[in-house]
Amino acid sequence: MTSKLLTFGNLISRPISILIKQNNVTPNLHTNFSTSSVACVNFFNKLPAEKLWKSVTSVSNAGAKKGRGKGAGRIRIRDLNRGQVIGVGRSSMLWPGLSAPVIRGRELLKQQRLPDDPERLEKLIKIRDSMTKFRRLKLSPIERGWSGMKMPGRSLGPPDPVGEDAFTGFDTKVLQLRSLLIMKGSLGRTRNFQAMVVTGNGQGLAGFGLGRAKEMPAALRKARNRAGQKLMHFEVYNGHTIFHDFYTAFGKTKIFVQKKNEGYGLMCHRAIKEICQAIGIKDLRAKVEGSNNLQHIVKAFFIGLLQQRTHQQLAEEKKLHLVEFRSENEYFPKVVASPSEVRTKDELLKNETLDFTQYVMNNKVILKKKKFPRFYETMPHYKIYLKKYEKYRNHEKIRRDLKVEYGEVKSFLTDKYPEKAEQEA
Amino acid sequence: MSLIFRKLARNNPRNIVTDAQILVLSCRKLSIVPSLYDGEQDPAPKFFSPNVQVLLKRLTRPDFNKVFRKRTNHGLNILRTPTYKFLTNEELEEEIAKANEKADRLLQMPPIVKIQKHIDDVLSSDPALVGYDTAKFIFTDITFGVANEHRFIVERDPDGVLRSCDHDVRKRLNQVYFPLHGRKLREPVMFADPEKFNSLLDREQYEFVLDRACVQYEPDEPSYQKVTSITYQHLDSHSKYELLRSTRHFGPLVFYLTWHKSMDNLMLELLQTGAVREAALLVALRQDMQGDVVNGELAQGLVQQILPTPIQLKKPERVTEEDIQLDTKCVECIEKYIVSNSAIKSQQELALQGFRENYQQLIELSRGLQKAHGNA
Repeated sequence: MTSKLLTFGNLISRPISILIKQNNVTPNLHTNFSTSSVACVNFFNKLPAEKLWKSVTSVSNAGAKKGRGKGAGRIRIRDLNRGQVIGVGRSSMLWPGLSAPVIRGRELLKQQRLPDDPERLEKLIKIRDSMTKFRRLKLSPIERGWSGMKMPGRSLGPPDPVGEDAFTGFDTKVLQLRSLLIMKGSLGRTRNFQAMVVTGNGQGLAGFGLGRAKEMPAALRKARNRAGQKLMHFEVYNGHTIFHDFYTAFGKTKIFVQKKNEGYGLMCHRAIKEICQAIGIKDLRAKVEGSNNLQHIVKAFFIGLLQQRTHQQLAEEKKLHLVEFRSENEYFPKVVASPSEVRTKDELLKNETLDFTQYVMNNKVILKKKKFPRFYETMPHYKIYLKKYEKYRNHEKIRRDLKVEYGEVKSFLTDKYPEKAEQEA
Repeated sequence: MSLIFRKLARNNPRNIVTDAQILVLSCRKLSIVPSLYDGEQDPAPKFFSPNVQVLLKRLTRPDFNKVFRKRTNHGLNILRTPTYKFLTNEELEEEIAKANEKADRLLQMPPIVKIQKHIDDVLSSDPALVGYDTAKFIFTDITFGVANEHRFIVERDPDGVLRSCDHDVRKRLNQVYFPLHGRKLREPVMFADPEKFNSLLDREQYEFVLDRACVQYEPDEPSYQKVTSITYQHLDSHSKYELLRSTRHFGPLVFYLTWHKSMDNLMLELLQTGAVREAALLVALRQDMQGDVVNGELAQGLVQQILPTPIQLKKPERVTEEDIQLDTKCVECIEKYIVSNSAIKSQQELALQGFRENYQQLIELSRGLQKAHGNA
């Protein structure tokens, strides 16, 4: 090994002319040497890649304010080294010790030219292009919030545990996340983030919180933990809905909430829906009127829920039995609450509100808009359609009955008088 | 069923199964022989007599939670939001009275009547019309407001004979001109195909079968009585009485069992669940219908004492002295019945003994509680 190194050292120590001699260079090349200087320095090899890229991708201050250099058309920095391997170049060469081992098996590998890879450049370009294309990060539909990658509607998990008390079974949903600009004496206009979240365990416990911070995650964390500190308990009627219809308002926001049957679902503003899910309410309808300021909606809804009266409270207030009638139970009178003492008919006041809905709405009457006929129902062609299809109105049922009886659409006459097409066949 | 066994026999040559065996196996499921109300005696007068009706209704043990339960065939594809009312005591009582009426309607028992006789009534014979046409002509009076059973439906045969139609033709024509909701012109497959019918019974869909039979058939039709009879017997052999309690079919079931003197299983179930008062009522019913119970008058006397007491939906947790007296009388009455009339004496005696022991504990407990409260 040492002797080999020594010979290598000799090779280096020899003057270049010997090296040139050793190569099979034609001797008349010597005459073509020029002495004029060649400028091998330009900005490509003078400046670092970082600066070069900056010159391409940067946007002027005014341009940035207009929103230039963002989104799909933006020029992105490419790592040109990606896909490049030392020892592999335009012409495919085998360099022992660089791109290949020196000894393979028992033979000593020699430097040689390999057949060219025609797709090499294409592959490189492809790798480079994959970096430049604008890719939007995708969330799974379960993790997704109300809209795309935005935070509102997304889950944050339970609030952080306080001491040893962990919030097991809780889940937090973001209701609002926005940036606020505030003026500071020294810094001028600065940006703050504000988040509103609701947390709940789906079994009656829920709370909402508001958090402000310089950074988005900090604001969300603050809001979540604050919501965990402000839990309220709500009773859920039969585990699926509220106790009665109610009206509630906060600022200019007005909400009319209606109790609904099992299986109705949550037909309401998306924020109210998230709150209901956090509490464990499954069926309800809510109509927001007036301002749709989200924070006001949330506050109004929570106030409304807190002001609910249970059936027992209502019965005690009225001193009358509260009786439930369900259509699925043939309107069987089920007494849901009885007061300690019941008033007689003579004790009722003349102008007293006895209607349950009116009473729980505090005599507020919902304006129900008149339903207009569908646009086509007044047109002449609709009448023609009705006349034309009147005779077919039972055909679907008849077809079903025939399928039950014969396994196909046929009548008792089909065997006797088969279809003509079948006869020919 | 038989098909499967045939296949098995073919696949496994060592397993020699004779045809007779296959027949036995395939018939096992259909072993219930329906017994119809086709004897000399007409069950209708007995069934409609007030004594029997009262007993049958009481034995139904109506639980309003089950009577007014949510049904799948309600015709509602979505539930409705419940409504609420503030009611005074009087108004509530009125509502409850209305609900009781509604319960009576829901629990109205399908009538039990004798099987229908063929109608063979030649109105006229006109030889001049022989060979006038190859088809029968049927004439139906479709005047509005005539009851289906009194509607005038006659047929003119190709041989010129004018006769009244038989029941099956009458039923079809009535259904064509005045369709009953839910009734089909052809017999539904669940009744026509014994395999499907048996699978329904095996799945214990007794109420569904009986409800549909009520809609599809008339109570005096042989098919109705056959279907109900098989259903009752299947239920009786599996002791699934609880499935029919609080429904309109429990009365007819008890009537059927008592009519055919096969109510011992029901009696056993009553004793095992500790419903001695109902057992005593059942003895009284037997006496009313068959008149073969020793000391039957005693049971009938007990009925007057039992009926005013509230229906016991659950086992009582405490008993008063009056309760104890009444229950002791009931037990005595049942003892006599077991000795003289029962077919499964030992089991029923065992059940009664079990009841006695439990009841003794209950008596001691309630007397002790009374003493502790100082009301002794």
